[in-house]
Amino acid sequence: MGDLIVGISDLKVSCNPGDVLVTYALGSCICVAIYDPKVKVGGLLHFMLPDSSLDAVKAKETPGMFADTGIPILFKSCYAYGAEKNRMIVKVAGGASILDDTNYFRIGQKNITAMRKIFWRNNVMTDGEDTGKNFNRTVRLELETGKCILKSSDGTVREL
Amino acid sequence: MIDIILKSIDRIPAFPATTQKVAALLRNDDYAVADVANVIKYDQAIAANILKISNSAYFGARQKIKSIQDAVVYLGQQQLIRAVQTAGVSRYFSKGGKGYVAQSKDLWEHSVAVALMSQILSRKIQSREDPVLYTAALLHDVGKLIMGEYVHESFEEIMYRVKQGKCSFLEAEEAILGINHADLGGRIATHWNFPADIRDAIAYHHRPDLLMEQDKKNAWLVYLSDQACLMMGIDGGIDALAHKGLEDVMQYFNLRMIDLEKSFISLVDELERAKDLIHNL
Repeated sequence: MGDLIVGISDLKVSCNPGDVLVTYALGSCICVAIYDPKVKVGGLLHFMLPDSSLDAVKAKETPGMFADTGIPILFKSCYAYGAEKNRMIVKVAGGASILDDTNYFRIGQKNITAMRKIFWRNNVMTDGEDTGKNFNRTVRLELETGKCILKSSDGTVREL
Repeated sequence: MIDIILKSIDRIPAFPATTQKVAALLRNDDYAVADVANVIKYDQAIAANILKISNSAYFGARQKIKSIQDAVVYLGQQQLIRAVQTAGVSRYFSKGGKGYVAQSKDLWEHSVAVALMSQILSRKIQSREDPVLYTAALLHDVGKLIMGEYVHESFEEIMYRVKQGKCSFLEAEEAILGINHADLGGRIATHWNFPADIRDAIAYHHRPDLLMEQDKKNAWLVYLSDQACLMMGIDGGIDALAHKGLEDVMQYFNLRMIDLEKSFISLVDELERAKDLIHNL
């Protein structure tokens, strides 16, 4: 019961309606929040990099670090609790960049692209998205209601 | 406003002389353990802090370090310099920074992360660690300790400028308060009698391209380490990602994107090991 904190490169799944999954300070990292309203099962992933081919050993040890290893495990872990793909509500936030016209530091953008490709290939539609720009975000997913609350470093708070 | 801000530099207590003395002794490769231990023992506050920090998993000593003598023997030159610098700096960060961060610990976490990242990148780029760079990186946001209260008062004005004018947070600080946190940090370093290269690396950590010195390497390394941590969300406060990206940095160090991505992974590991260093402040 209570707040379950998901750190960088981590993912957590719960079927306890009292739980709230939270991840703080998404910079260029991305949070994927999924929820099946019928069985009230949800999960949160905070991945950092787009592609696990960068470090295969690390990908095995910490699959939540990369989009291509983290996203499948997030979904499968929810299925294990009885969630089903066709009922899943998917929301994403993060992938921010620093102020940069030439865009040399593209990790945020690369993360967004990698995630979209994975969703596209697997027929996953997103129901809410707040990505890019240049502020940090915090995401909370309430298991009781499926409400996904987004807080940005520019001071705004809203439901995603 | 700027006069009031500059006056508050004098309120900051002097940097512990012990730290500087130990660093000077350790610069000599054949330092005597007893000499170093004696200098540290003389300063009770620092000694206690060094013991605590030396036992952090980050420094990886195999046995528990029970005395300053142990710390000098087991940590070795490089690690000891870092433990001593960290102990010296940490007390300033135990409070302050409000206005940028919700709690002082957040600014300390960011500072340690940037210091660790500076060494990861230094190993990659110069094939060695660098204690001077470590100190500069650890202190790069020291200006925020003073600026915090003024930024807090003018937060809405600053954010309005950042959003409207597409200017960086740094430029907005300067426009509204008359000075930015990096420049102010450089002046604090001067107040503490730090060498010029550390002062410059602090003062130019958002704009190393404007530094007129010959050797700008440390300023660029602190800049890059800071940017990397901002990207990873381990930021130094409300300014978050509202800082200028300078693409020259990649060329300057002949770095590829993939090198940076790998450094992210190393930092996640090192932060895990440095947890107690950050949270037991």
